[in-house]
Amino acid sequence: MNRLLNLPVAAVRAFSSSSRTLKNKVPEAQKLFQEDNGLPVHIKGGTSDVLLYRATMLLTVAGTCYSIYWLLVASMPKKKQ
Amino acid sequence: MAHQAHAMLYSVDPSPSPLTGAVAALLMTSGLAISMHFHTTTLMSLGLVLLLLTMYQSSRDIIREGTFQGHHTPPVQKGLRYGMILFITSEVFFFLGFFSAFYHSSLAPTPELGGCSPPTGITTLNPFEVPLLNTAVLLASGVTVTSAHHSIMEGQRKQAIQSLTLTILLGFYFTALQAMEYYEAPFTIADGVYGSTFFVATGFHGLHVIIGSTFFAICLLRQAQYHFTSDHHFGFEAAASYSHSCLMSYDSSFTSLFTDEAS
Repeated sequence: MNRLLNLPVAAVRAFSSSSRTLKNKVPEAQKLFQEDNGLPVHIKGGTSDVLLYRATMLLTVAGTCYSIYWLLVASMPKKKQ
Repeated sequence: MAHQAHAMLYSVDPSPSPLTGAVAALLMTSGLAISMHFHTTTLMSLGLVLLLLTMYQSSRDIIREGTFQGHHTPPVQKGLRYGMILFITSEVFFFLGFFSAFYHSSLAPTPELGGCSPPTGITTLNPFEVPLLNTAVLLASGVTVTSAHHSIMEGQRKQAIQSLTLTILLGFYFTALQAMEYYEAPFTIADGVYGSTFFVATGFHGLHVIIGSTFFAICLLRQAQYHFTSDHHFGFEAAASYSHSCLMSYDSSFTSLFTDEAS
């Protein structure tokens, strides 16, 4: 998420005449993601990864329950006047 | 994972993205049905949010696996290329379906349409006005994307960024022009089979242009962050192939859907 927030800044700086000022951070990223810590790639970036994963999974479970709720509502016969 | 010597192919780490993506599809489709019966868009919107989250996380993970972990060796890249080619082929067939629908109705127009094509009462768009401009815009974007590709291959960072930016701007220009055409069109999607086939075909095409622009925008951010090297930039090549095929489909629709008479 931090990296995402930096992207608009990075993009603006990339268009300036001195685009050299945007540093190449790929070697640092390579070191981070090749660290032998047993973490799967979707969590390996750090805390923001974990938060995003938890939020996504929460929405997944909640959404599944919500769709089953509507399935039950739609299965009920309509009340006759 | 670092213990394995970089074997020629690799197995991805377990990921939640297939599950979250599948649930997103469930919520969007069931949400669409529920919105029509119960006038509530919550379920569908939830599905859309989940789709965007899944798209972000899964593409972020692929970038990590390729650019940061070095897993995209030449055999792996070959597989990715095959995958993209197969996907683009499936998209081509998707569009062929809509063109078939148009030709089915226009080559043998029924009495209900007035026995003629375009049908009675339909005022067609002049193909040599905005549609021709749109064709030129897309063709120009084909030139700029080729220029961007050569700049990347030559290691010319600034020129690549400039050409990519121009490509994206041309994509936005196309979308803006098409939106205006839609607003100003003398017929709607509800105007018989002509309206239906016209707006569904050009509508899906316009959506694909937006997808292409988005793909290129991600490539631009990656190029700015030094992800692409002069001989390894498959993400960019995938975006370029996808957009070129989109351009081809517009050229075909220009010659068939926009002309005054069915060919």
